[in-house]
Amino acid sequence: MVIRMSKRVISIFLGPQHPGAPGNVAFKLLVDGERVLDIELVPGFLHRGFEKMMEYRRWDMDLVMSARICVEDPDHVELAFTHALEQIYGIEPPEKAKYVRIVVAEFSRLASHLLWMMHFAGPIAARYATSWAIAAREEILKWFDYVTGHRIYHHYIFPGGIRWDIPSDFKERTLKVLKHIESLIRDLEKGFFKHPIFVKRARDLGRLKPADAIRLGATGPVLRGSGVKHDLRKLLKYDAYGEIDFEIAHGEYGDSYDRAMVRLKEMYISMEIIKQAISKMPIDGPYRWRLQPAIPAGEGIGRVESARGEFIAHIINKPPNKFSKPLTPYRVKFRGPTMAHLTTVLKHIVRNEEITVADLPVLIGSLDPCPPDIDR
Amino acid sequence: MKLEVDQIVDLDKELIEKLPEEYKDKVVIKGSGTGKRLEIEIDPLDLCKVLPVVREFGYDHFLGITVIDHPDENVFELVYLISSTKRSGALLAIRTKLNRDNPVIDTASFIYPLAYYQEIEAYEFFGIKFNNHDGLKLWILEDNWRGPPPLRKDVDTRKIVLDLYYGGKRYERPVQWRSLGGLRNTNGDQNE
Repeated sequence: MVIRMSKRVISIFLGPQHPGAPGNVAFKLLVDGERVLDIELVPGFLHRGFEKMMEYRRWDMDLVMSARICVEDPDHVELAFTHALEQIYGIEPPEKAKYVRIVVAEFSRLASHLLWMMHFAGPIAARYATSWAIAAREEILKWFDYVTGHRIYHHYIFPGGIRWDIPSDFKERTLKVLKHIESLIRDLEKGFFKHPIFVKRARDLGRLKPADAIRLGATGPVLRGSGVKHDLRKLLKYDAYGEIDFEIAHGEYGDSYDRAMVRLKEMYISMEIIKQAISKMPIDGPYRWRLQPAIPAGEGIGRVESARGEFIAHIINKPPNKFSKPLTPYRVKFRGPTMAHLTTVLKHIVRNEEITVADLPVLIGSLDPCPPDIDR
Repeated sequence: MKLEVDQIVDLDKELIEKLPEEYKDKVVIKGSGTGKRLEIEIDPLDLCKVLPVVREFGYDHFLGITVIDHPDENVFELVYLISSTKRSGALLAIRTKLNRDNPVIDTASFIYPLAYYQEIEAYEFFGIKFNNHDGLKLWILEDNWRGPPPLRKDVDTRKIVLDLYYGGKRYERPVQWRSLGGLRNTNGDQNE
């Protein structure tokens, strides 16, 4: 792209303290008047060196750290880490744990999509939608507190199964929570997703064609919003997803509106999955296999469909030598979905479409980024 | 319940036919569960021969590069993870080994755009150089790190942080005497 530098073309920063920025990242914008010509991501405000720290610590401590990689959707990161470690140990979790895992993971997806309303409805100036969504999320956080003992980071999914057994009134209480949040989400649909202002702001903004979405590495609702039916829950059928009947939410046109509607549909589908999982779940039986503390040598790759897209944990362990200790993994690498969305995808959209400064927060919000998984 | 992944990952004979001659018998199935994958180990010089073939064949969805440091063998191992949207999410891992003294490999960013940023990450954390890559710089660590590439195994980041921020002393929190029930209070000051 050739840009003729005139006096009007200036470069400005958006974030990290800007209210329109989605968390701990900044963007360097090249603007010509109102129009954004190019965008550059500036990450690194939340780099904590988790991958290196995990090489110093035991694997059960690493699991607790892994949840901190994405605040909004911590259970899927734990699930990816757990899958990778279970492949190294060569075990399958008990049947009951598989069902509880998907209930927890779907609640985490619901909570994440509800919190996303803050990034998306905020820039459209629909503050009421944000408050309604946070009220619904509060019910889910209370449910998490009741089942796992924690509100935000749960550490409930554990290599070998789940950490604690479920409470005795698990089914009734879960159905009660679902009933409560379902009415709130229906309100959101009526009050926000069908509102003409939302439709006008989001339609035709940030169109992404299916071939481009695949080429640029987009995953999750961004990929499905473009019309590609790619969902790892359906394709890999990990844990108990093979036993559950659900459809893949997808858009057609690939603009911000479609991406938002995919997330709304996914909320309903998540609630459906939870209801089915609860009815099929075995009540008795073991919930966790005990693992030996020393990790065997081997390699594991855990892939899960998180709320934002494909999350991968790649763990390698070697026999003990000078550089590898028996209780710690040799190397842990996480792949988050946000890096692709905020670099290649955003750059592609901004360069090929007329995006103004006022539209940029809406566009970034529709990609639902979680910047900590770039930095880690 | 048997995982359905077994059905997806299969030794694709068409893919094997299209690969360069020396790798035709080196494709193997590895892993279990969600990590079940096809694996090819290649020479680093052949990366730009293999990747276009693989992409044309349907492995079109680039996921990431994992770098593993092996100081005892004096190599860096690079694992390119590529999945396929056409083959129901099947995973392919391309492994290659670089000499640790001079780690240089061609860039994959012309074939997979996302590789551009994954390669910057490999450069800043491991010091691996990529030919024809125009943006190798400190990106995540910009303004935050002075020192060797931190994720290498022989770099003791704890020691560097102690030297830089704690004057070389061990990091210790001062003891909160209040938490000991005021036992330190030996000055005869009874009022507290």
